[in-house]
Amino acid sequence: MPSDGYNLTMTSSNLIKIAIAVFIGIALGLIYGLVIDPIEYTDAPPNALREDYRADYVLMVAEAYQSEIDADTAARRLAVLGSESPALITASTLEYANRTGFTQNEIQALQNLLTAMQTYQPQGINNP
Amino acid sequence: MSRPDFRSQTLQLIFALLIGLGLGLVYSWYFAPVNYENVNPAILRVDFKDQYRVVIAASYASTQNLDRARVRLELLGDVDPVGELSAQAQRMLATGESFEKARPLAQLATDLNQGFASVPVVPTSFTTFNTPEIVSTVAVTETQTEELVTDEETQTPFPTIVFEQTPITPVAAETNTPRPTFTPLPGPGAPFALVGQDTICTPGSPLGLLQFMLMDARRKQVAGIEITITWSQGEDRFFTGFKPELGNGYADFVMQADTIYSARVVDGGAFVPDISAPTCTDPNGIEYLGGLLLTFQRP
Repeated sequence: MPSDGYNLTMTSSNLIKIAIAVFIGIALGLIYGLVIDPIEYTDAPPNALREDYRADYVLMVAEAYQSEIDADTAARRLAVLGSESPALITASTLEYANRTGFTQNEIQALQNLLTAMQTYQPQGINNP
Repeated sequence: MSRPDFRSQTLQLIFALLIGLGLGLVYSWYFAPVNYENVNPAILRVDFKDQYRVVIAASYASTQNLDRARVRLELLGDVDPVGELSAQAQRMLATGESFEKARPLAQLATDLNQGFASVPVVPTSFTTFNTPEIVSTVAVTETQTEELVTDEETQTPFPTIVFEQTPITPVAAETNTPRPTFTPLPGPGAPFALVGQDTICTPGSPLGLLQFMLMDARRKQVAGIEITITWSQGEDRFFTGFKPELGNGYADFVMQADTIYSARVVDGGAFVPDISAPTCTDPNGIEYLGGLLLTFQRP
């Protein structure tokens, strides 16, 4: 009987120690994983860009379109931003531009790009 | 009796610690990793960064806003943005892209290097789409604004300067940049002539480097000139101006030892046969492969 009580006490003590060790291990793991060696993303896709960077990218495409007048090239450049249609991407950027105070020239450039993208048909679709 | 218990306890603690460590890492790396949304352009994948540069250069070619292009390039976090532009332009040419596609990148690199836009700024008029061209009867006055282009009949007879039958538009008339425009290709009838061929013996410089420097009649370096190098086993083509840090009219090529090359400036330029890397001797008497500098100039 005494030996059983002793073993019971030791077991509880062990459990506490083990629990403490587990918590210390978790803390060390978190410190290492989040502070010392956190995951660093270096190969992000453009569709993960923050909204303002994304808007600036679309604006650049619009500015280039002003002189190139090449809807196909503009559509290809916009396509890297995601699976949405180029017209939808431009429309949402235009909305962002109106909301955040882009200049009149920039808004006009985006408007011209939107017009082009709304009427744009990828090669092969309109050719039976 | 106590020894095995102690060992057992220690092992249990170490094991528990490792389990905890593993759980912590799993949580921090898999369940709650760094947020992958709202990223900045600096962590884009390499090919998307290339695409980003292309769009920056295309936008710059349209707006000529050098400061804005510079700021946009800084977003990519490149240590040497100009060098990256040049390198990308060369990569594009090497992979068979046309010079016209690579030119905006090289142009932006050149302009960033020199600190000003090569092409005079011509403000983009967003109202010019579907706007009929100015016909010969249009009168353009000094007091006109951008959209004030009317027929003579409706023009008030101000005693101002009147241009008759001239293609000058109000925008062009307002352009006050006297610098010559960037001309990547030489005009017909203006061939380059070899005016200098110098041996370069500089220890430590790239071995067998064949350097080209192309200048116009006023000794201003000219970018965008195609050069062809041929030898018994192959041919290479490249353009001046893709290393703007070394000059807009600069290009180079690495020669191998014991190989005879011929260089030709495309579009009516000079032909230089029998080029080979010279042998130089350093102060210790050790021989090494030297370089050559070929200087071409339009007459």
